[in-house]
Amino acid sequence: MGTVESLLLGFSVALQPDVLLYAFLGCLIGTLVGVLPGIGPLSGISILLPVTFGLDTTKSVVMLAGIYYGSQYGGSTTAILMRLPGEAASVMTCIDGHAMAQKGRAGAALCIAAVGSWVAGTFGVIMLTLIAPPLAAFALRFGPPEYTALLVLGLIFLAYMSSTSLPRTLLMACLGLLLGTVGIDNMTGHFRYSFDIAELGDGIGIVPVAIGLFGLGEILSTPSAKVVGKVIAPKLRQLLPSRREWRQAAMPIARGSVLGFLIGLTPGSAHIISSFLSYGVERRLSKHPEEFGKGAVAGVAGPESANNAASTGAFVPMLALGLPTGPITAVLIAALMIHGVPPGPTLVNEHPNIFWGFVASMYVGNLMLLALNLPLVSIFVNVLRIPYAYLYPLVIMFCIIGVYEVSHSIIDVWIMLIMGVVGYGLRKFGLDPAPLVLGLVIAPTFEMSLRQSLIMSNGNWTIFFQRPIAAVLLAVCAMLLGLAALSLIRRRRDWRSRLAEAEAGENR
Amino acid sequence: MTLRTDHIAGLIFVAFGLLVFALSGDLPFGTLSFPGAGMMPKLAAGSLIFFALLLILRANESEPIATVPWGDLPHATRVVAITAAAIALYQTLGFLITMPLLLFALTFGTERRNPLVAAAFSIGAVALTYLLFAVALKTPLERGVFGFWLWVR
Repeated sequence: MGTVESLLLGFSVALQPDVLLYAFLGCLIGTLVGVLPGIGPLSGISILLPVTFGLDTTKSVVMLAGIYYGSQYGGSTTAILMRLPGEAASVMTCIDGHAMAQKGRAGAALCIAAVGSWVAGTFGVIMLTLIAPPLAAFALRFGPPEYTALLVLGLIFLAYMSSTSLPRTLLMACLGLLLGTVGIDNMTGHFRYSFDIAELGDGIGIVPVAIGLFGLGEILSTPSAKVVGKVIAPKLRQLLPSRREWRQAAMPIARGSVLGFLIGLTPGSAHIISSFLSYGVERRLSKHPEEFGKGAVAGVAGPESANNAASTGAFVPMLALGLPTGPITAVLIAALMIHGVPPGPTLVNEHPNIFWGFVASMYVGNLMLLALNLPLVSIFVNVLRIPYAYLYPLVIMFCIIGVYEVSHSIIDVWIMLIMGVVGYGLRKFGLDPAPLVLGLVIAPTFEMSLRQSLIMSNGNWTIFFQRPIAAVLLAVCAMLLGLAALSLIRRRRDWRSRLAEAEAGENR
Repeated sequence: MTLRTDHIAGLIFVAFGLLVFALSGDLPFGTLSFPGAGMMPKLAAGSLIFFALLLILRANESEPIATVPWGDLPHATRVVAITAAAIALYQTLGFLITMPLLLFALTFGTERRNPLVAAAFSIGAVALTYLLFAVALKTPLERGVFGFWLWVR
């Protein structure tokens, strides 16, 4: 079946009224999650995961993905109107978006952000349609050694792309790998670190760890007294940008879409990194760089397009290789697996309805978001008026329900609380929890493929260099490690250190 | 020598790695041709200790520990204590009793909001959530030993 026929099959699934309803619900909830400060897309998806248990796989994944890309749209509303990033990828939008709002151009900034997000999101889905199936077909050649090398590359790439240092990222990833070994060893049946707690036999779940580190950890680090802000509410008739503003936005949207998609393919917090890089690129290319920080249209259009394209790009390795590039795609993979559908190379051929239905729903979802975000902006603005002192207790309640409902295990809820405290501590020590979740997700696959490779080769480690695909992947790992070591030796300030400085400056 | 955040973080992770080794005594490492259940945890713990030592060695790049702001710690401690109490009671008292208590304790106890408003908010929010999950989405919530969810059925 060709791409066009497959896509038509996808639309026949995505345009069914009930699938449309769940896509709409996902987009609406995602927008709210993006709008509300302190609740990120990860907590939103994790909390609503149990709600999808009663749905079929297509509806579940369509709704959860809608929350993810919907949150990228919603994050810009808070950033522009309150100078608070609704979620981390909107940090750069705060700068020029809010400056535009102060000049009375809040409506125009919101419109440019929404249209840019739609263009970038649609571009990302087109690329996903074209790239994912051939990539999945290629990945069918992968055996255990190739998977081991691919997962090592994923971790090294994550560490290389991270704005914190390489040892810090790999330290967190090792901690995640270690937590991932808790439970029964699938190959020998040994209980590992379960301390006679039956629930730990199944291992530590991704959901309690992710909700604890990102949902509860964020709340613990944010005392309610600090969350204050004045909302600038735009009127509906002020939403249309001028012709000059459209012209200024066109190229940044195009550049942000391409840049964001490419960064989205790589492991790490791609949607965050892409918005920082896009802002830097636009400032460098601008004829009036002095306008940045004072309401430059390109400073809104570029980063907003980039973070949306990146969130779509992240679906390519997730769907085609079964490889999570970040904690959000990791939870989406968990959602697919709960429904008995393993993501990866076989997904396209064995479950075409789910794969193509999901892809087609993203075309529809992006249109829905455009229609949803602009006319309803005044309603979302009212949501921002809920005091944080009432909001965070609700989030804690949803965290408890969300974790408990996954397997009705109170141990999981305790793990969430412990992880919340760990997340609070990690933030205090400047350690990024995202690689920990990634390590936890890949641990079972990594361990299994590593041990299978060694059994295949009768204990000969050179198997990883004898197979061409694995050897190429490991050569890329070595190259990245070499580059990282070189910048460490030269103590050169490359783009990553500048990104870290920018992030730190914005968080202060 | 100034004590820095990476000194403390590194030491904590080294100690954690050593603890993992101590707890892994009965897990066989196996051989290279047939790796045992202990291979992966020991490799991961060894790598953890290695990177933690690197962190300590490069600690000069981190902030001095004295500059880390801890002003939010009392608030965080209160939130953790109240949440822990709610988790401990959840299976006994069920959703319909535990959650209003949790919300009230956080809004009134921690945030010092008007007690009547806090009570109305707590009961209202839980009732709406219950209707959404248990009635609209058919997701059974924990009923506890009193079986309150049967009232709606």
